Amino acid sequence: MHSGGNASSLPLVGGAPEPTINQLSKPGRRASRFPKLDVPVTEINNSAIRNDKPSLPEVSEHDLVMHYSRLAHRNFAVDVGFYPLGSCTMKYNPRFADYVAGLNTFANSHPSTPSAFTQGNLEVLHELEKFLIEITGMDNATFQPPAGASGELTGLLIIKKYLEENNLTNKTDIIVPDSAHGTNPASAKMAGFNVVEVSTDVRGMVNIDDLKELVNENTAGLMLTNPNTGGLFEENIMEISNIIHENGGLVYYDGANLNAIVGVCRPGDMGFDIVHSNLHKTFATPHGGGGPGSGPVAVKAFLKEYLPGPIVEKNDKSYKWYMPKLSIGRMHGYHGNFLVALRALVYMKLLGKEGLDTLGSYAVLNARYLSSVISKVIPLAYNEPCMHEFVATVKDLKKSHKIKAYDVGKALLDKGFHSPTIYFPLIIEEALMFEPTETQTVDTLDDLAETLKSIIDELQGEDVSLEEYPKNLPVGRPNELIPAKHLTVNWGDFELLELTE
Amino acid sequence: MFVPHSEIDLKKMFEELSISSLDDLFTHIPETLKLNDGLNVPPSLSELESISDFENLESKNTQNLICFAGGGHYDVYLPQTVKSLTMRPEFMTSYTPYQAEISQGILQVLFEYQSLICDLTDMELANASLYDGATSVAEAISVAINKTKRDNVVISNGFNPNTKEVVNTLVDSNKFNINYVDLVDYLFPEDYVFSQDDAAFVVSLPHYEGSAQDLTSIVHNAKAAGVITICYADPSMLGILKSPGSMGFDIVVAEGQSMGSPLSFGGPTVGWFATRKELARLVPGRIIGESRDSNNTKTYVMTLRAREQDIRREKASSNICTNQTLNAVGSTIHLSWLGPEGLYEIGYQAIQKASYMKQLLTDNNFIVLNHTSSLREFLIETEKSAEEVILEMGSKGFLAGIKYDDNQILVAVTEKRTKAQIDNYVDSLVEVNNA
Repeated sequence: MHSGGNASSLPLVGGAPEPTINQLSKPGRRASRFPKLDVPVTEINNSAIRNDKPSLPEVSEHDLVMHYSRLAHRNFAVDVGFYPLGSCTMKYNPRFADYVAGLNTFANSHPSTPSAFTQGNLEVLHELEKFLIEITGMDNATFQPPAGASGELTGLLIIKKYLEENNLTNKTDIIVPDSAHGTNPASAKMAGFNVVEVSTDVRGMVNIDDLKELVNENTAGLMLTNPNTGGLFEENIMEISNIIHENGGLVYYDGANLNAIVGVCRPGDMGFDIVHSNLHKTFATPHGGGGPGSGPVAVKAFLKEYLPGPIVEKNDKSYKWYMPKLSIGRMHGYHGNFLVALRALVYMKLLGKEGLDTLGSYAVLNARYLSSVISKVIPLAYNEPCMHEFVATVKDLKKSHKIKAYDVGKALLDKGFHSPTIYFPLIIEEALMFEPTETQTVDTLDDLAETLKSIIDELQGEDVSLEEYPKNLPVGRPNELIPAKHLTVNWGDFELLELTE
Repeated sequence: MFVPHSEIDLKKMFEELSISSLDDLFTHIPETLKLNDGLNVPPSLSELESISDFENLESKNTQNLICFAGGGHYDVYLPQTVKSLTMRPEFMTSYTPYQAEISQGILQVLFEYQSLICDLTDMELANASLYDGATSVAEAISVAINKTKRDNVVISNGFNPNTKEVVNTLVDSNKFNINYVDLVDYLFPEDYVFSQDDAAFVVSLPHYEGSAQDLTSIVHNAKAAGVITICYADPSMLGILKSPGSMGFDIVVAEGQSMGSPLSFGGPTVGWFATRKELARLVPGRIIGESRDSNNTKTYVMTLRAREQDIRREKASSNICTNQTLNAVGSTIHLSWLGPEGLYEIGYQAIQKASYMKQLLTDNNFIVLNHTSSLREFLIETEKSAEEVILEMGSKGFLAGIKYDDNQILVAVTEKRTKAQIDNYVDSLVEVNNA
């Protein structure tokens, strides 16, 4: 074992369950202190004022710090170990970005501060827009969407408004591959479109014949990620985008897999009209345990006036806010997740031309290498060169030994690795989807492949009980049915029933 | 940069793949699509070189404006303890807790977050965060529409105009009617008559203009007509205001910035969402529940997953995937740091300081439009245009407030403001307004 393997197991080792902060509470303790009130006291008369104190825990500052530090010790993270998590791009998040995001007026500007006083902040967004449109091959961008799904919805609302402006309201269908991320159909539905699924061919790419059959006068557009969710580059992308354009539809790029092609090729050159990027994937901002992200949307010039705003424009020497004339409106209360955008700018400036030109290449190199070594342990789903991620399948092991993708993922946790993405894309049986990213060493990749091999050998043993994995972590495999049945979703509920199944 | 491959590593990897260069990885991509000269971007910088670039960029913002602006985002004191715990890399650099066995830390913090919000709002079920206050209002309206199958949304006009714009973007105006109701004397009319076509009643506590009222009887009337009632609350005032649950609301949403997040130029912050169990299956976003593992040890997991987009696809309750977890962690730790006394104190001090400021402004011949009904935020009238006043106050070191109308400014006070700052603000405002 070189790295990744045992490096993370120590902080996550067992121990007694941590009580909740509420269980640590004792009347009269407190962490907070405030200065004495320095103005004369006035009587407050308002019918909305309460007569009692709110219900909150009462803890000392040291108890508070120990509690949340102990919880931190029970959490896997990019800084702790390797996430070969397909579709999530869990790369290293540079520490330097934390410093920059903490600088005084970056961190502490009130969002209503006039642009005359926030020229630095507006310049951040303008600079980042320049990087982003160059990388994606588009013309203008908005930073309103706070996450990828919000970026998707933004793109779809732009398509809708564009069609309305051009009197094409008959166009109500959005085509989505059967391999797409769940957010694609969910966003299309939220924007008021019908979702039409196009199938995948035996090579793992969009089925062109099926697409031709599905496209008609009602086609509003297509949502696609390239490389697709199988990690394969859609080689016929120009034909695909032409088919949609010839029918008057627009083509939307789901930026979830952008990391594969940065510096290699650009969505804008493949016929895409609208692109969202996930700054929290491709551009190395931390995932925060599930967020915040940032999902800026970039478009070709003919769609600029539809962007949600305000967006930043530069005139002469100063920056100002501009509301596009046909804007779909706001997607966020203020300017999107500004500090996430700032972190992405830090990352891009550090990488610069040398780093960005080779970013996709190293991401693909790591995935291609890992697919090569893992294919000796588990078969791959497609016999095609992968891009930044690839899908393997344990459907044969399921038949022979009842070993499911879920079991392999759980056993990996014991060895200090995060599980790969499992059961996605939905069209591949017992799928395990690996995305190593470019920031892992070849030693860690070898380590993962060796560990997988030893796990699969172990799981095929005669007396193995698959349900027992993982064995060495703070908790074992959870019963996920209990809370759904009895809904214990806050500490005021004490209805935990006896385990009967 | 951040790519670890040495020449020796590359040799090994190229051999495994039988290639001789990185370009060989892409022989299957059409030549016409490839970038031959790479990207037109500036050269790479070391961290050392770029420090001064970023510090210069930051210095282009006007420094140290004393903040009297609110409108949903408040300059509440954020303790170092909260900041440094929230930024622990185990929280900050972790992924969504799909693998419960190695994510008990984040899962438990989020369970505590949901519980704290339920306690504070008197609700039964909170989700694990939405994007921000404005999008939370839109999501809540969508729950009400799905529950009631009605087409009309009654929303108070006493909202931040940006929030209204987000609602207008996200609620389809071709299908649903959004009916904005004007405040009367800065309060929602007690005698408003709800109809059987109304899906949702949405109101802010306090109103955007800063005035507050007990909304119990209005909520009662709305519910009698079968309307889902939605309260947009100010978290930093919940220590001193009656809870939305005690007023009878069905859903509580909030802009959670003031609890655990710096002002951040508006993002990332966090949208709070809490409701009653009856609406559980319509709730957007992730929910954390308590379960048991195979050894009967308490274990936290994501639950009610059948509402979410990765499982339900186009039938999901919302398209949200990435949320604002780290900011929810911030809210949890900040609320625990504050405790009942601390949360009360920041509300109480803000109101007392605002009272002092309103009186001082009145003594200096300014008109405070909602003097009596307002708490920590209020409207003042200016002789000069609001825009000019705000710009000129900026050169005197103050963010004077938010422009409300041509000659009206919305001013907010937090517990951080001192008597001296308030006195100086009023002196400066007199100068600016009379100049």
